Amino acid sequence: MLKLKNLTATIGGKEILKNVSLTVNRGECLLITGQNGSGKSTLLHTIMARPDIDARGEIELGGNSISDLECYERARLGLFLSHQSSPTLDGINTTSLFFEMAKIKNDSLKKIDVIKKAKAAFRDLNLPDDWTRRDFNVGASGGERKKNEIAQAKMFTPNVLLLDEPDSGLEQSSRSKVIDLIEETKAAGGIVLLVTHEKVLQDQYSNNRIELNDGQIA
Amino acid sequence: MDKLHKKLFLNEEEISLDLLPENIEQADVYDITIIQSEGKCTARINLEPVKDSLSKVFIKIFAENNALVDCVCTLNVGKECSGIDTDVQFRSWPFDRSRIQARPEMFIKNGNIIAAHGNALGTLSDEDKYYLNSRGITNFKEMIKRSLIDEE
Repeated sequence: MLKLKNLTATIGGKEILKNVSLTVNRGECLLITGQNGSGKSTLLHTIMARPDIDARGEIELGGNSISDLECYERARLGLFLSHQSSPTLDGINTTSLFFEMAKIKNDSLKKIDVIKKAKAAFRDLNLPDDWTRRDFNVGASGGERKKNEIAQAKMFTPNVLLLDEPDSGLEQSSRSKVIDLIEETKAAGGIVLLVTHEKVLQDQYSNNRIELNDGQIA
Repeated sequence: MDKLHKKLFLNEEEISLDLLPENIEQADVYDITIIQSEGKCTARINLEPVKDSLSKVFIKIFAENNALVDCVCTLNVGKECSGIDTDVQFRSWPFDRSRIQARPEMFIKNGNIIAAHGNALGTLSDEDKYYLNSRGITNFKEMIKRSLIDEE
Protein backbone atom coordinates (compact mmCIF):
# COMPACT_ATOMS: atom_id res chain seq x y z
CA MET A 1 0.00 0.00 0.00
CA LEU A 2 1.19 3.52 -0.81
CA LYS A 3 -0.09 6.11 1.64
CA LEU A 4 0.36 9.88 1.53
CA LYS A 5 -0.56 11.83 4.64
CA ASN A 6 -0.90 15.61 4.55
CA LEU A 7 1.73 15.91 1.82
CA THR A 8 2.80 19.46 1.11
CA ALA A 9 5.37 20.36 -1.54
CA THR A 10 7.13 23.68 -2.01
CA ILE A 11 9.37 24.61 -4.94
CA GLY A 12 11.38 27.82 -4.84
CA GLY A 13 9.23 29.18 -2.01
CA LYS A 14 5.96 28.46 -3.82
CA GLU A 15 3.60 25.93 -2.31
CA ILE A 16 2.48 23.59 -5.10
CA LEU A 17 0.85 20.75 -3.16
CA LYS A 18 -1.30 21.41 -0.10
CA ASN A 19 -2.08 18.66 2.41
CA VAL A 20 -2.62 15.88 -0.08
CA SER A 21 -3.68 12.60 1.54
CA LEU A 22 -4.46 9.44 -0.38
CA THR A 23 -4.06 5.67 -0.32
CA VAL A 24 -3.44 3.31 -3.23
CA ASN A 25 -3.51 -0.45 -2.63
CA ARG A 26 -1.40 -3.10 -4.30
CA GLY A 27 -2.83 -4.06 -7.67
CA GLU A 28 -4.59 -0.72 -8.07
CA CYS A 29 -4.21 2.16 -10.51
CA LEU A 30 -5.06 5.67 -9.33
CA LEU A 31 -5.88 8.16 -12.07
CA ILE A 32 -4.84 11.73 -11.30
CA THR A 33 -6.47 14.46 -13.34
CA GLY A 34 -6.52 18.23 -13.16
CA GLN A 35 -5.70 21.28 -15.19
CA ASN A 36 -2.19 22.30 -16.20
CA GLY A 37 -0.37 23.63 -13.17
CA SER A 38 -2.66 21.91 -10.68
CA GLY A 39 0.26 19.92 -9.19
CA LYS A 40 -0.13 16.51 -10.86
CA SER A 41 3.48 16.14 -12.00
CA THR A 42 4.75 17.69 -8.78
CA LEU A 43 2.86 15.02 -6.84
CA LEU A 44 4.71 12.25 -8.72
CA HIS A 45 8.08 14.01 -8.38
CA THR A 46 7.47 14.52 -4.66
CA ILE A 47 6.85 10.80 -4.23
CA MET A 48 10.10 10.22 -6.16
CA ALA A 49 11.95 12.77 -3.92
CA ARG A 50 13.15 15.24 -6.53
CA PRO A 51 15.87 17.18 -4.72
CA ASP A 52 14.55 20.69 -5.38
CA ILE A 53 11.16 19.89 -3.84
CA ASP A 54 10.78 20.70 -0.16
CA ALA A 55 8.27 18.09 0.99
CA ARG A 56 6.44 17.87 4.28
CA GLY A 57 4.02 15.24 5.47
CA GLU A 58 4.32 11.49 5.37
CA ILE A 59 4.83 8.96 2.59
CA GLU A 60 4.48 5.31 3.51
CA LEU A 61 5.09 2.26 1.38
CA GLY A 62 3.96 -1.12 2.71
CA GLY A 63 3.48 0.39 6.17
CA ASN A 64 7.02 1.83 6.34
CA SER A 65 7.82 5.51 6.11
CA ILE A 66 9.94 6.44 3.09
CA SER A 67 9.69 10.18 3.75
CA ASP A 68 13.34 10.50 4.74
CA LEU A 69 14.71 8.42 1.88
CA GLU A 70 16.63 9.99 -0.97
CA CYS A 71 15.49 9.63 -4.56
CA TYR A 72 17.93 6.78 -5.37
CA GLU A 73 16.89 4.91 -2.21
CA ARG A 74 13.25 5.09 -3.24
CA ALA A 75 14.19 3.87 -6.72
CA ARG A 76 15.98 0.92 -5.14
CA LEU A 77 12.78 0.09 -3.25
CA GLY A 78 11.08 -0.31 -6.62
CA LEU A 79 9.61 3.15 -7.25
CA PHE A 80 9.82 3.97 -10.93
CA LEU A 81 8.95 7.33 -12.44
CA SER A 82 8.23 7.43 -16.14
CA HIS A 83 9.42 10.98 -16.76
CA GLN A 84 7.37 13.35 -18.86
CA SER A 85 10.56 14.61 -20.48
CA SER A 86 13.57 12.37 -20.08
CA PRO A 87 17.06 13.74 -20.76
CA THR A 88 19.70 13.04 -23.37
CA LEU A 89 22.71 11.42 -21.69
CA ASP A 90 25.73 11.85 -23.93
CA GLY A 91 28.41 9.28 -23.18
CA ILE A 92 26.03 6.97 -21.34
CA ASN A 93 25.25 4.00 -23.47
CA THR A 94 21.66 2.70 -23.17
CA THR A 95 22.76 -0.89 -22.51
CA SER A 96 25.20 0.21 -19.79
CA LEU A 97 22.46 2.20 -18.08
CA PHE A 98 20.03 -0.73 -18.20
CA PHE A 99 22.74 -3.13 -16.98
CA GLU A 100 23.42 -0.83 -14.03
CA MET A 101 19.70 -0.75 -13.25
CA ALA A 102 19.56 -4.56 -13.44
CA LYS A 103 22.50 -4.87 -11.03
CA ILE A 104 20.85 -2.47 -8.58
CA LYS A 105 17.71 -4.58 -8.74
CA ASN A 106 19.90 -7.55 -7.75
CA ASP A 107 18.98 -9.11 -11.01
CA SER A 108 21.40 -11.90 -11.79
CA LEU A 109 21.03 -11.20 -15.50
CA LYS A 110 24.20 -11.15 -17.59
CA LYS A 111 24.81 -8.19 -19.85
CA ILE A 112 23.86 -10.21 -22.93
CA ASP A 113 20.53 -11.05 -21.29
CA VAL A 114 19.91 -7.38 -20.50
CA ILE A 115 20.57 -6.58 -24.15
CA LYS A 116 18.14 -9.29 -25.28
CA LYS A 117 15.49 -8.05 -22.87
CA ALA A 118 15.99 -4.44 -23.95
CA LYS A 119 15.81 -5.35 -27.64
CA ALA A 120 12.58 -7.27 -27.06
CA ALA A 121 11.07 -4.30 -25.17
CA PHE A 122 12.18 -1.85 -27.87
CA ARG A 123 10.92 -4.09 -30.66
CA ASP A 124 7.52 -4.32 -28.94
CA LEU A 125 7.35 -0.52 -29.14
CA ASN A 126 8.56 -0.33 -32.75
CA LEU A 127 11.95 1.05 -31.78
CA PRO A 128 14.94 -0.27 -33.74
CA ASP A 129 17.26 -2.85 -32.18
CA ASP A 130 20.25 -0.53 -32.42
CA TRP A 131 18.75 1.62 -29.66
CA THR A 132 20.64 -0.54 -27.20
CA ARG A 133 23.92 0.64 -28.72
CA ARG A 134 23.08 4.32 -28.75
CA ASP A 135 23.91 6.83 -26.09
CA PHE A 136 20.79 7.32 -24.02
CA ASN A 137 18.12 9.27 -25.93
CA VAL A 138 20.67 10.82 -28.31
CA GLY A 139 18.81 11.75 -31.48
CA ALA A 140 15.47 10.58 -30.02
CA SER A 141 12.18 12.36 -30.70
CA GLY A 142 9.73 13.17 -27.90
CA GLY A 143 7.64 10.09 -28.69
CA GLU A 144 10.72 7.85 -28.80
CA ARG A 145 11.76 9.11 -25.36
CA LYS A 146 8.33 8.16 -24.04
CA LYS A 147 8.74 4.70 -25.53
CA ASN A 148 12.14 4.40 -23.88
CA GLU A 149 10.50 5.12 -20.50
CA ILE A 150 7.79 2.52 -21.14
CA ALA A 151 10.40 -0.03 -22.24
CA GLN A 152 12.34 0.45 -18.99
CA ALA A 153 9.20 0.07 -16.88
CA LYS A 154 8.37 -3.15 -18.74
CA MET A 155 11.88 -4.49 -18.26
CA PHE A 156 12.17 -3.78 -14.54
CA THR A 157 8.63 -4.45 -13.22
CA PRO A 158 8.39 -1.73 -10.55
CA ASN A 159 6.53 -2.00 -7.23
CA VAL A 160 5.26 1.54 -7.66
CA LEU A 161 4.86 2.87 -11.18
CA LEU A 162 4.51 6.65 -11.49
CA LEU A 163 3.38 7.55 -15.00
CA ASP A 164 3.65 11.22 -15.91
CA GLU A 165 1.73 11.67 -19.17
CA PRO A 166 3.15 8.47 -20.66
CA ASP A 167 0.99 8.75 -23.79
CA SER A 168 1.63 12.30 -24.95
CA GLY A 169 3.58 12.30 -28.20
CA LEU A 170 2.96 8.61 -28.79
CA GLU A 171 1.37 7.40 -31.99
CA GLN A 172 -2.08 5.83 -31.60
CA SER A 173 -0.84 2.26 -32.08
CA SER A 174 1.59 2.54 -29.15
CA ARG A 175 -0.96 3.88 -26.68
CA SER A 176 -2.28 0.38 -26.03
CA LYS A 177 1.23 -0.44 -24.76
CA VAL A 178 0.67 1.97 -21.89
CA ILE A 179 -2.49 0.09 -20.91
CA ASP A 180 -0.60 -3.22 -21.23
CA LEU A 181 2.09 -1.86 -18.92
CA ILE A 182 -0.43 -0.69 -16.32
CA GLU A 183 -2.26 -4.01 -16.39
CA GLU A 184 0.97 -6.01 -16.14
CA THR A 185 2.11 -3.93 -13.17
CA LYS A 186 -1.25 -4.32 -11.42
CA ALA A 187 -1.29 -8.07 -12.08
CA ALA A 188 2.16 -8.35 -10.50
CA GLY A 189 0.81 -6.63 -7.36
CA GLY A 190 2.29 -3.26 -8.18
CA ILE A 191 0.80 0.16 -7.54
CA VAL A 192 0.21 2.61 -10.40
CA LEU A 193 -0.31 6.38 -10.26
CA LEU A 194 -1.31 7.70 -13.67
CA VAL A 195 -1.27 11.31 -14.79
CA THR A 196 -2.80 11.74 -18.23
CA HIS A 197 -4.88 14.06 -20.36
CA GLU A 198 -5.68 11.25 -22.81
CA LYS A 199 -9.41 10.53 -22.83
CA VAL A 200 -9.11 6.83 -23.67
CA LEU A 201 -6.84 6.24 -20.69
CA GLN A 202 -8.94 8.45 -18.44
CA ASP A 203 -12.07 6.47 -19.36
CA GLN A 204 -10.29 3.17 -18.77
CA TYR A 205 -9.21 4.08 -15.21
CA SER A 206 -11.91 6.53 -14.15
CA ASN A 207 -13.31 4.26 -11.41
CA ASN A 208 -10.37 5.15 -9.12
CA ARG A 209 -9.65 8.79 -9.68
CA ILE A 210 -8.73 12.00 -7.91
CA GLU A 211 -8.73 15.50 -9.35
CA LEU A 212 -6.19 18.06 -8.27
CA ASN A 213 -7.15 21.70 -8.19
CA ASP A 214 -4.56 24.26 -7.16
CA GLY A 215 -2.51 21.60 -5.35
CA GLN A 216 -5.42 20.14 -3.41
CA ILE A 217 -7.66 17.15 -3.97
CA ALA A 218 -10.91 18.60 -5.28
CA MET B 1 27.27 1.04 -44.66
CA ASP B 2 29.80 3.26 -42.94
CA LYS B 3 32.98 1.44 -42.03
CA LEU B 4 33.48 1.61 -38.27
CA HIS B 5 36.94 1.54 -36.70
CA LYS B 6 36.95 1.39 -32.90
CA LYS B 7 39.96 1.98 -30.67
CA LEU B 8 40.14 1.96 -26.89
CA PHE B 9 43.18 3.19 -24.97
CA LEU B 10 43.41 2.52 -21.23
CA ASN B 11 45.98 4.43 -19.18
CA GLU B 12 48.50 4.89 -21.99
CA GLU B 13 51.36 7.37 -21.61
CA GLU B 14 51.68 7.92 -25.34
CA ILE B 15 49.28 7.31 -28.16
CA SER B 16 50.23 7.71 -31.80
CA LEU B 17 47.60 6.89 -34.35
CA ASP B 18 47.41 7.34 -38.11
CA LEU B 19 43.95 7.44 -39.64
CA LEU B 20 43.84 6.96 -43.41
CA PRO B 21 40.24 7.25 -44.63
CA GLU B 22 39.78 5.92 -48.16
CA ASN B 23 36.05 5.26 -48.45
CA ILE B 24 34.28 7.37 -51.07
CA GLU B 25 30.65 6.19 -51.23
CA GLN B 26 30.33 5.75 -47.47
CA ALA B 27 32.26 7.15 -44.54
CA ASP B 28 35.13 5.75 -42.52
CA VAL B 29 34.00 6.31 -38.92
CA TYR B 30 36.70 6.33 -36.25
CA ASP B 31 35.46 5.90 -32.69
CA ILE B 32 38.42 6.54 -30.40
CA THR B 33 38.11 6.32 -26.62
CA ILE B 34 40.84 7.36 -24.20
CA ILE B 35 40.41 6.45 -20.52
CA GLN B 36 43.05 7.89 -18.21
CA SER B 37 42.86 7.06 -14.52
CA GLU B 38 46.39 8.12 -13.56
CA GLY B 39 49.37 10.16 -14.74
CA LYS B 40 49.68 11.86 -18.10
CA CYS B 41 48.72 10.78 -21.59
CA THR B 42 49.92 12.46 -24.76
CA ALA B 43 47.86 11.50 -27.80
CA ARG B 44 48.73 12.46 -31.36
CA ILE B 45 46.19 11.46 -33.96
CA ASN B 46 47.05 12.05 -37.58
CA LEU B 47 44.20 12.17 -40.08
CA GLU B 48 45.19 11.92 -43.77
CA PRO B 49 42.19 11.36 -46.02
CA VAL B 50 42.59 10.44 -49.68
CA LYS B 51 40.91 12.43 -52.48
CA ASP B 52 37.06 12.41 -52.40
CA SER B 53 36.92 10.38 -49.16
CA LEU B 54 34.35 10.73 -46.38
CA SER B 55 35.34 10.41 -42.73
CA LYS B 56 34.10 11.10 -39.23
CA VAL B 57 36.32 11.00 -36.17
CA PHE B 58 34.84 10.85 -32.67
CA ILE B 59 37.38 11.19 -29.88
CA LYS B 60 36.01 10.53 -26.39
CA ILE B 61 38.30 11.29 -23.47
CA PHE B 62 37.61 10.36 -19.84
CA ALA B 63 40.09 11.41 -17.13
CA GLU B 64 39.97 10.90 -13.36
CA ASN B 65 42.21 11.06 -10.28
CA ASN B 66 44.03 14.21 -11.28
CA ALA B 67 45.14 12.71 -14.61
CA LEU B 68 46.19 14.86 -17.55
CA VAL B 69 45.35 14.15 -21.18
CA ASP B 70 46.79 16.19 -24.02
CA CYS B 71 45.20 15.16 -27.30
CA VAL B 72 45.73 16.70 -30.74
CA CYS B 73 44.02 15.48 -33.88
CA THR B 74 45.81 16.82 -36.94
CA LEU B 75 44.10 16.92 -40.31
CA ASN B 76 46.52 16.93 -43.25
CA VAL B 77 45.08 17.66 -46.67
CA GLY B 78 47.51 17.83 -49.57
CA LYS B 79 47.16 20.05 -52.66
CA GLU B 80 45.88 17.18 -54.82
CA CYS B 81 43.27 15.98 -52.28
CA SER B 82 40.04 17.69 -53.36
CA GLY B 83 36.51 16.54 -52.51
CA ILE B 84 37.30 15.48 -48.95
CA ASP B 85 34.48 15.64 -46.41
CA THR B 86 35.63 15.14 -42.84
CA ASP B 87 34.39 15.84 -39.33
CA VAL B 88 36.42 15.69 -36.11
CA GLN B 89 34.48 15.77 -32.83
CA PHE B 90 35.98 15.73 -29.33
CA ARG B 91 34.01 15.02 -26.18
CA SER B 92 35.69 15.21 -22.78
CA TRP B 93 34.74 14.03 -19.30
CA PRO B 94 37.20 15.38 -16.74
CA PHE B 95 36.63 14.20 -13.13
CA ASP B 96 38.51 14.70 -9.84
CA ARG B 97 40.46 17.77 -10.91
CA SER B 98 41.77 16.05 -14.01
CA ARG B 99 42.65 18.14 -17.04
CA ILE B 100 41.90 17.41 -20.64
CA GLN B 101 43.38 19.45 -23.44
CA ALA B 102 41.79 18.43 -26.70
CA ARG B 103 42.17 20.30 -29.95
CA PRO B 104 42.07 19.84 -33.68
CA GLU B 105 44.84 21.14 -35.94
CA MET B 106 44.30 21.60 -39.62
CA PHE B 107 46.84 21.85 -42.44
CA ILE B 108 44.80 22.24 -45.60
CA LYS B 109 46.25 22.94 -49.02
CA ASN B 110 43.13 22.39 -51.12
CA GLY B 111 40.15 24.75 -51.24
CA ASN B 112 37.58 22.18 -52.30
CA ILE B 113 37.02 20.29 -49.05
CA ILE B 114 34.69 20.26 -46.02
CA ALA B 115 36.44 20.06 -42.65
CA ALA B 116 34.05 20.30 -39.71
CA HIS B 117 35.16 20.08 -36.12
CA GLY B 118 33.74 20.43 -32.64
CA ASN B 119 34.69 20.16 -29.01
CA ALA B 120 32.29 19.58 -26.14
CA LEU B 121 32.42 18.96 -22.43
CA GLY B 122 30.45 15.93 -21.25
CA THR B 123 28.78 17.25 -18.15
CA LEU B 124 25.69 16.09 -16.31
CA SER B 125 23.09 18.70 -15.39
CA ASP B 126 21.08 18.53 -12.16
CA GLU B 127 18.19 17.17 -14.23
CA ASP B 128 20.42 14.42 -15.64
CA LYS B 129 21.59 13.49 -12.14
CA TYR B 130 18.02 13.41 -10.86
CA TYR B 131 17.07 11.13 -13.74
CA LEU B 132 19.91 8.73 -12.94
CA ASN B 133 19.04 8.88 -9.22
CA SER B 134 15.46 8.01 -10.12
CA ARG B 135 16.91 4.84 -11.67
CA GLY B 136 18.80 4.08 -8.43
CA ILE B 137 22.16 5.20 -9.83
CA THR B 138 24.49 7.39 -7.76
CA ASN B 139 28.01 6.79 -9.02
CA PHE B 140 27.84 8.83 -12.21
CA LYS B 141 31.58 8.80 -12.86
CA GLU B 142 31.82 5.00 -12.80
CA MET B 143 28.68 4.77 -14.90
CA ILE B 144 30.16 6.97 -17.63
CA LYS B 145 33.53 5.20 -17.47
CA ARG B 146 32.00 1.76 -17.76
CA SER B 147 29.73 2.96 -20.49
CA LEU B 148 32.67 4.28 -22.53
CA ILE B 149 34.65 1.07 -22.02
CA ASP B 150 31.84 -1.46 -22.42
CA GLU B 151 29.84 -0.08 -25.30
CA GLU B 152 27.80 -2.92 -26.69
